Amino acid sequence: MQTDFYHGLLTWLWALVLPLVLPNDSGAQARAGAAAPPRSPRATAPIDLAGQWVAVISEDWRWRMITPPKGDIVSIPLNLQGQHVAEAWDPAKDEAAGEQCKAYGAPGLMRGPIRMRISWLDDNTLQVQTDYGVQTRVLRFERAAAPPGARSWQGATAAEWIVRGDGGRGMTTFGTLKTVTTNLRPGYLRKNGVPYSERAVFTEYWDVHVLPNGDRLLVDTNVVDDPVYLQSPFQTAIHYKLERDASRWDPTPCDARF
Amino acid sequence: MNGTRLLRTLVLLTALTVMSRPASAQVELGGSYSVRMYEDYIERGPGSYLGDFTGMPMSDEGRAKALLYTSSLPSTIERQCLAQSPWVGQYRPLNLRIWSEVDNGRVIAWVLAGDYLRDTIRIWMDGRPHPSANAWHPPSGFTTGHWEGDTLMARTTHVKTAWIRRGVGIPGSDRSEFTVMITRHDNLLTITTVQEDPIYLTEPHVVSRVWEFDPNAAQDNNARSSCNTGNEIPPLEDTGKVPHYLPGQNPDEDYMVRAYNIPRDAALGSAYTLYPEYRKILKNLYTPPASCGRYCCGWIERQGLPGAAPGLTCKDNNQPVSNEERGGGRGR
Repeated sequence: MQTDFYHGLLTWLWALVLPLVLPNDSGAQARAGAAAPPRSPRATAPIDLAGQWVAVISEDWRWRMITPPKGDIVSIPLNLQGQHVAEAWDPAKDEAAGEQCKAYGAPGLMRGPIRMRISWLDDNTLQVQTDYGVQTRVLRFERAAAPPGARSWQGATAAEWIVRGDGGRGMTTFGTLKTVTTNLRPGYLRKNGVPYSERAVFTEYWDVHVLPNGDRLLVDTNVVDDPVYLQSPFQTAIHYKLERDASRWDPTPCDARF
Repeated sequence: MNGTRLLRTLVLLTALTVMSRPASAQVELGGSYSVRMYEDYIERGPGSYLGDFTGMPMSDEGRAKALLYTSSLPSTIERQCLAQSPWVGQYRPLNLRIWSEVDNGRVIAWVLAGDYLRDTIRIWMDGRPHPSANAWHPPSGFTTGHWEGDTLMARTTHVKTAWIRRGVGIPGSDRSEFTVMITRHDNLLTITTVQEDPIYLTEPHVVSRVWEFDPNAAQDNNARSSCNTGNEIPPLEDTGKVPHYLPGQNPDEDYMVRAYNIPRDAALGSAYTLYPEYRKILKNLYTPPASCGRYCCGWIERQGLPGAAPGLTCKDNNQPVSNEERGGGRGR
């Protein structure tokens, strides 16, 4: 009986010490070197962004839900040149030029009245599809520099996880998705022609929060830097709610007026 | 239970405890932050229009109470501090100062201070429970928090009756509770509030705002966190009169309909108008007004800050009219 007791005591002490001396997963991987291929961004995702999210237009309703009148540029730190461009907005001209999607480029689209579906295209690539304007943006985690393609409404988005907690020893991981979008075609921050230029850089931090009632909230803290049309970075936070019911997905084409 | 079984149980419990430690990626939030008013600028700057409840999920009770509101109401002594509820900063031009309170090297509270707050907001991090539902409701409410990764998750209860949005009378009851998420990314601080109010809201009201770290912000008078009352309308003093409109007699009830062609149900804050499908209704009802009206110009010009672009020509009916526009030189 006494032997059993000391044996048990020894096991207990081991249980205390063992987790502290054992390497965690990332350390083990590092030591394994080439033998263990690095885990993919999909496998190491600290948050789950997949699903259908709906924008809750509880802020700036009059500028996001409807098209405000020409010249209504309040809230946006445009410079003089930007203001002149905004005052020259002509949706008929955009339509004639086949540019009715100018307000659906990534920096304008994310503030729009959208539903978006986020899904993994492959282990290194997330895609964001919207019903509003039927747009698709691809978020690439690959480090290898992709050859710059033609400028587009959604541009080229580089993605990286910012991870807290290493997931070892049963620890929970948390994190943020950081994305930087460049190579944009010039577009509108607001439907009434408030411009951003092709030199705009759109940086976003994507956070998912679980509310006490189980609802999930996606908060996109973002910055538009544009040396051409802005006096200072345009910084906002946009929130979306996860929808369990996907039935309200309603693809509608770009519209230069409404 | 004999000794061996007891020890085995201890082994199991200890191993589980040690191996399932939660992440505790606490972030240093301390410092001063400048507000970035690139959202809801009119609401947070000059003040919104009476009758503008767009973007609000209001109940019938909330809407009815809001429509009794006149701009003289907050001038009554009893109501001068009503606008200054704990998370009113989401709707104010509010710089912030944040610091921690430490006991034996451990952070036991984060404290937020800033102009337009009636009191500092103290987020208790030491695991204390919320008081009884019958406990006193202090001006700051009662807030506890914990970390989830880099986000400080907080819960505020025990608030006083307040106005959710300043200057238009949208009410928040003392049964409101807030879930708050505070996240810092590099120099940006994001505060997201989710307000639940069983009296005046039909669904949780979500607001997300951004501040930027700025060592020069929220110092001295800009972080005083106090509310002083004074006699603002002498004829009202000691009369017991409460300025208000009777039901159905608010002349601004349809202001947003008249001025911006916004349907009444959206102007007066219904939850279903906050979601994209409402645009199907809007499409047949809405035509943009011919011109912008008031408060049209870019934010920097309105603030008159250094670095504002000179020569902005934006027509804004709230701007002083220049001499040139008056049609003459000095003295006219």
